[in-house]
This record gives sequence, structure tokens and C-alpha cells, in this order.
Amino acid sequence: MMDFIRDYGLILILFILPVIFVIQPLFLPMIAKKNIQVDVTSLKRKKLLIYRQIKELEMEFDIGNINEQDFSSGRADLKREVSEVIAQLNSL
Amino acid sequence: MNSNKKFFLMIIGIIGVVIFWIGWVSMNPADEKAMATFVSVDELLEDNITHRTKLGGLVKDGSIVISETNHLDCSFVLKEGDLELNIKYDRTRPDLFKDGAEVIVTGQYVNGVFYADELQTKCASRYEGDLRDENSYNLSEIDS
Amino acid sequence: MTPIAGSVAMNLAFGFSILTVLTLILYTRNGDQRLFLTGQRLALGISFFVFLATFILAYQLIQSNFDIDYVARYTSIETPFVYKITALWAGQSGSLLFWLFILSIYATIVILQNQGKHNSLMPWVIITLAIIQMFFLVLTNYVTNPFKPTDADFIVANGNGLNPLLQNVTMAIHPPTLYLGYVGFSVPFGFAISAMINRDTSPLWIQSIRRWALVAWLFLSIGIILGGWWAYRELGWGGYWAWDPVENASFMPWLTATAFVHSIIIQEKKDMLRVWNMVLIIITFTLCIFGTFLTRSGVMSSVHSFTGSSLGPIFLTFVFLIMIVSFGMMYFRRNVLKSPRKMESFTSRESGFLFNNMVFVVMCFAVFWGTLFPVFSEAVRGTKITVGPPFFNQINIPIGLILLALTGIGPLLAWRKTGKKSLIRNFTFPIITGLIVSIILLLIGFRGAVVMSFSLGAFVTATIVTEFARGIRARQKKLNESIVMSLVRMVSKNRSRYGGYVVHLGIVLMFVGFTGHAFDEEKEFSLKVGESDHVAGYNFELIKLSEAERPNHYAWISDLRVTKIDGEFVTNLHPEKRIYFHKNPDPNRRQPHSELDIHNTLNKDIYSIFSGVDSENGVAFIKIMINPLVEWVWLGGYILIFGTMIALWPRKDQ
Repeated sequence: MMDFIRDYGLILILFILPVIFVIQPLFLPMIAKKNIQVDVTSLKRKKLLIYRQIKELEMEFDIGNINEQDFSSGRADLKREVSEVIAQLNSL
Repeated sequence: MNSNKKFFLMIIGIIGVVIFWIGWVSMNPADEKAMATFVSVDELLEDNITHRTKLGGLVKDGSIVISETNHLDCSFVLKEGDLELNIKYDRTRPDLFKDGAEVIVTGQYVNGVFYADELQTKCASRYEGDLRDENSYNLSEIDS
Repeated sequence: MTPIAGSVAMNLAFGFSILTVLTLILYTRNGDQRLFLTGQRLALGISFFVFLATFILAYQLIQSNFDIDYVARYTSIETPFVYKITALWAGQSGSLLFWLFILSIYATIVILQNQGKHNSLMPWVIITLAIIQMFFLVLTNYVTNPFKPTDADFIVANGNGLNPLLQNVTMAIHPPTLYLGYVGFSVPFGFAISAMINRDTSPLWIQSIRRWALVAWLFLSIGIILGGWWAYRELGWGGYWAWDPVENASFMPWLTATAFVHSIIIQEKKDMLRVWNMVLIIITFTLCIFGTFLTRSGVMSSVHSFTGSSLGPIFLTFVFLIMIVSFGMMYFRRNVLKSPRKMESFTSRESGFLFNNMVFVVMCFAVFWGTLFPVFSEAVRGTKITVGPPFFNQINIPIGLILLALTGIGPLLAWRKTGKKSLIRNFTFPIITGLIVSIILLLIGFRGAVVMSFSLGAFVTATIVTEFARGIRARQKKLNESIVMSLVRMVSKNRSRYGGYVVHLGIVLMFVGFTGHAFDEEKEFSLKVGESDHVAGYNFELIKLSEAERPNHYAWISDLRVTKIDGEFVTNLHPEKRIYFHKNPDPNRRQPHSELDIHNTLNKDIYSIFSGVDSENGVAFIKIMINPLVEWVWLGGYILIFGTMIALWPRKDQ
């Protein structure tokens, strides 16, 4: 009998605690969507990504894997992209 | 021709070549041991199949005979239902090969004897016995 | 705690998985953040209950509670502590729960790591993972429950015990590593599905799963290599790869995953191959589930397969559902999957990647074809034809060699287009290296695939060396650093690139090892004490044959003295013949095992198996195999792991 109570007691606790944990947010006041926040992080990541691509492009050029013309046009493209991203970031 | 089309054709070409290659090897394997047909003892005996085959069955109790002169030479009887088949095998035998073991043999059937060059025992890495056998003994009995 | 708690936990996890899916779908409809929070917590709840169930099963195993069928089947009182825990994944139902356990670890990490990040992607990622969890929970709850009580009308005094073959360290690590790989691809798959639903297929989602894919790939690689290592050291047939259906089942997703980790680089950098990447991750994940299915279906007879299983149809249904839903979704999202950029030239890095991808997928198809050949042939011609290693080798050797060649060619191509001048400059040194090696080999007398493999290996090594050298030189010219400094900074600034090259080097070494297989020799003979026999220029003399009784087995121990034909001493080998459960009164339940002994050097392994004993006449049956270059496979494996670690090592800004 004791075993029974102990086991089922434990199960009850292990069941009730998660349930409280789970439904707790439903009693919070309405939260506004944080879309702006999201955009900032993803834009920042995008910026970082493009910076890295520029670095890599420069390295490829230094090694000699790309010719002068491709390098300058590629870098110009990337710089244009990154300035767009920065402009978007500034506008927020 | 634009570059997209060129790439498309190239990819189709590669796929074509490889499918041809796979088909070709499937039709004409270089090694005669590359393929074996899974048959039942019944089919083997009835159709007298002489190309490379694979058979499954049980080792008949007490049928394992090991040659006196060369201990690698071994013959046994494979049972599948009521049917029996003499097997000869002259390579290292797997650890689990014994009376009653479930085995798969691969080889050729020539004049009433199946010459196997592969012998696999089932259940090499998984061990799932029948618990009811445990009834017959327990630990203390064995240790004494 | 009693096993009932385990069942309850699994049921609760199942309930939570349904609620998670419902709540989050509701959230994607109305956008109420509270629902998202609840959904996230419900998803954490699934994992919590799965952890709980797993720990309860582990506890039962440790406690040797033989009232549970699973515990009685896979452990016994004598089973050492460690192997009581590893018994968690020794059998069907336990291994499914363990699969779920690992998926739950991953799911928890994904949820905790991405809180506040990827707010549009995350709901569908969590839903996808919860659905996968739900599927496995259906299995462990209602199809093969690990907490099923022992079905016996007597009290089980002792369990079956774990197969001695599985009682070693490698076997304790191999399945979990493989599972970590298999299951790991659920996360990129979840992100892929989510990206499609959100119509956001830009390179950003690729960014967030690159590391996941690489981690899963690493585990899968380690798992496969460990499996080979275990087979080589324990199973005693002298090889590490048998093209067994279950081995193939792990190799197929590895191939497509390798293609995937290459092609995501293109999408990340160039935003090309969107469709292709989707296809690859869907296939990889499907193959992972399919692999889990193959081991359990009973469709394939294999040394690895679990016996008597009813899971086949359920798994197949799930596999088809995944494919239909994923590819259906791709069809409906075909507009957003169009890549904005196109390939420009055959001699570009992009097309190099594309071709390497093609070859990987083609090889996967070849392996798939061979693995399911019995099924196909039975369907088409009515006879079940099985194919063996010679078939797989014949098909895959040329494909493998093409892959090896591409490993060298790819990195030397420039993005967009490689000009004629740089083509000549980049390829001169590697091609000359390859040619010199092939000429030398031809002069020595080697022919065919062996020459190809070694020369291509030399070619690839030369390209890797050139890449490093040119990178270092470029830095030195610009920054005036020392060579070592340049190397360190260069690698740490471009981890995935140079880590990748190191992985390539590992692959080259492994190919060298595979090629050694062409020179294998073996001989079986019987010896009495004092007698000797020879193979491949080595002489084997049986010095002594002794017997010993050890705690869990009985052993015959041979003492073989190995000398070269001219008498020079090489080593002593002590292969053993063991009988496990030797005290069992029923001889059929005793389990013989050949414990082999290997003398390994970089050049060749001398592999000895004590295959049988005639104790009345004092005769030992010995099988000797001379396996050249096997050590290189493991060496290549270490380098592969090292390279992947470099690529994975986090940067400060991440």
C-alpha cells in the first residue's frame, strides 16, 4: 500500500508540475508581437554573413583563385548588398 | 544553347551513364560470387538448380561430421521442414554453428551435395533467447 | 520507482506531443505569443517525460528487475554495471526509446538555444520535431513497449544476459554515436520544412542549420567508423565492411548528408541550389528513418537485425508520409524555391560542388539498388537474388574513384569561372604529382584500380598542400607573418574551409586503406604444439596451448610465434577460443566466441583467429589473414574527426 501511494504520489507530482509550467503563460497578459526585434537580429546576421563573404573573396583573390575583373565586380555586388542591409538597419 | 540547358543535359548524361553502369553490373557481375538466388530446399531439389544459391534452415541434430584428417572439412545435414540436404563446407566455422542452429549457406548444388563456401549463423550480434528456458535452472544451481 | 511510472511517463509524453502540435498550429493562425510560449513549454514537456521514461528503464536495468521483459531479456545478475546501462539500446523496444531520448535532447537544445531567435521559423521546427517524437512514442507506447511485464507464469530468477559480443567499449559507444547522427538530421529537416512553410528559403535558414548538419554528419561518420572497427576487432572475419544491409542503411544517409554539407556552402555563399538542398535534406532524413526501419523490419536478413518484429509496415508508412508531405510541400512552394542566380561555367567551384553532389547521390542510389536487390528481383522475376560484397565493390569502386578525383579538383576551381591561365597554374603541380606516382606504381607492377586510387590520392594530397601553401604565401606577402603564425591565423579565420581540407586528407588516407584490401591474403590451418605453417612470407609456430577459467567464460589460449621466413622474429600472437555461459548445464545455451589477436603496423595487420579446438588431440585451428594498410583507415578516421572539429569550432562572433 505504501509503495502504491509513494509511486502514484510521485507520478502525480511529476504530472502536475509540468502541467502548471505549461499552462502558466496562458494566464499572462497579452504580449505584443516582437517582429521588429526579429528583423534586427536577422539583419545583423545577414550583415555579418556578407562581411565574411567579402573577406573570403579578398582571400581568394590574394591566393589567385579569382581574376581581377571578377574580384572587383564581386566585391562591388557584395558592398552594395551590405549597404542595403545597413540602410535597413538604420531605418529601424 | 544557354548555360542552364548545358548543365541540365550534363546532369541527365551523368544519370544515364550511371544507370547504364548499374544495370550492366547487375546483368554481368564480374565475380561469380557477386550474386546468389535465395531458394528453398524444395525448389533446389525439384528444379536441380546448379547455379549459385542461398539456403536457410536448421542443422539437423547429430549430423555434423568433422573430417579426421582435416579438421576444417565438415559436412552436415540442413533441415527445412521435412526436407533434408547434405552440405559440405571446408572453411572456418562460425562460433554459433552447432546442432540445431539456424544457418544460411551459400554455394552450389552438385550431384546431390551442396558445396557451401559461406556459412552464416543467425543471431550473431543480437541475442534474444527464449526466457522460458530459464525455468530449467537458476544461478545458484549452476554455481554449486 | 516501479515500471508503471515509466509507462505513465511515455503516455504523458505522447499526450504532450499532440498538444504541442495543436497549440503551435493554433499559434501560427492567431499569433498570440502566449500560445507560442505554452507550445514551447509543452514541447519541453515531451522531452522531460521521455527523459524520465529512459531513466526509469535504466534504473530498472541497473536494479535487475526481471519482472520487466526487456530487463530479463538483455541483462542478467552477472552483467557488469556498464553493460546494464548499454542494454538500454541492445534490444528493439529499448533502442526505440533511446532514439527518442536522443531526439528529445536535440529538441531541448534547439528550443533553448533559439529562444527569441527565428520567431517565424521556430513554431514549425518545433511542430516537425514533435511529430517525429509522436511517431516514436506511438511505437514505444503501443507497439513495442519497453516496460512490458515479463510474459511468464514463473518468477524469472535470472535474465538472459547481454551477448558477450556486445560487451566491449566500442559496442557501448557505437550505437549511441550512430543514433546521434541519424537523429541529428531531424533538426535540419525541421528547419527545412519550416522554411518552406514560411516561404522563406533564403540562405538564412541554411546558416542556422549548418553546424547542426555538420554535428550530425560527424556523429554519423564516427558511428560508421566505430562499427567497422568493432566488426574488425570482434567479429573475426577479417574485414571492417561487408556491405551488409544495416551497414548500407547507415552509409546511404551518410552519402547524401555529405552531399548536403557541401551544397549548403553554395546556398550560403551564392544562394544557388535551393531546390537541390531541400531534396538532399529530405532524402537524408528519410534515409535515416529508413535505416532505423531496415534494422527492425525483418525484410533483410542481416547479422544486425532484431528478430521477430512487427514494425515494418508502420515504419514504411511513416517513411512514405514524410516523403509525400515533404515533396508535396516542395511542389506547392516551387515559386520561392527558385534560385535567383544561375551556374555560369563548368570550370567553376559551383559546378564542381554540383558534380560532387551528383556523384554522392548516384553512389547512394547504387548502394540502395544493391541493398534492395533481393526485394526488387523478387517483385520483378519472382526469385529472391541477394548480392554480395563483390557486386557492391564492382559498382562502387569507379564511382568512389571519381569522387576522390573531384575531392582534388573542386577546391582548385575558382568561383564563377576559372580562367585558362589559372587552370593551368593550379593543376600543374597536382597532376604532375599524380602522374609520377602512377608511373612509379606501373613500373613496380601494379595495375588497374590500385594505381588509380594511389595516384588520385597523391593528386588530392598535392592539391591540399597547394591550397595551404598558397593561402599561407598570400598572407605572408600581405601581413609579413611567420609561416606558423600565418597557418594558425589562416585556419582560424576560415575554419570550415581548412577544416574541410583536413577532412579531405582523412578521406585520402581511408582510400589508401581501402585499396590495401586488394592485397589481402589468408590461410586456414590446424596446428599441434610445436608444428608450424606459413602464409605470405610469415611463419606461424604453435608454442603452447593452454586453458583457463575466467569469471564469465572458459578459454583456450594459443601462443603463436610469428617469424619471417628467414627466421627474423616478428611478434607473438595469442588468439583465444572462449565459451561464454560455460557453466550453463544446457550446452545449447553456452556461447562460443573467438577472441582474435592482431599485430598491427602501418604497413599491414597480421590477423589471427583461433577458430576451433580439438582438446583431445591438442589441435588448434588457426586462421591467419594478412591485411595490408588497414591501419590507414582508422588513421584517416582520426584525421576526419580532427578536421570536422576544426570546421565546427565556434568563432567568437557566433
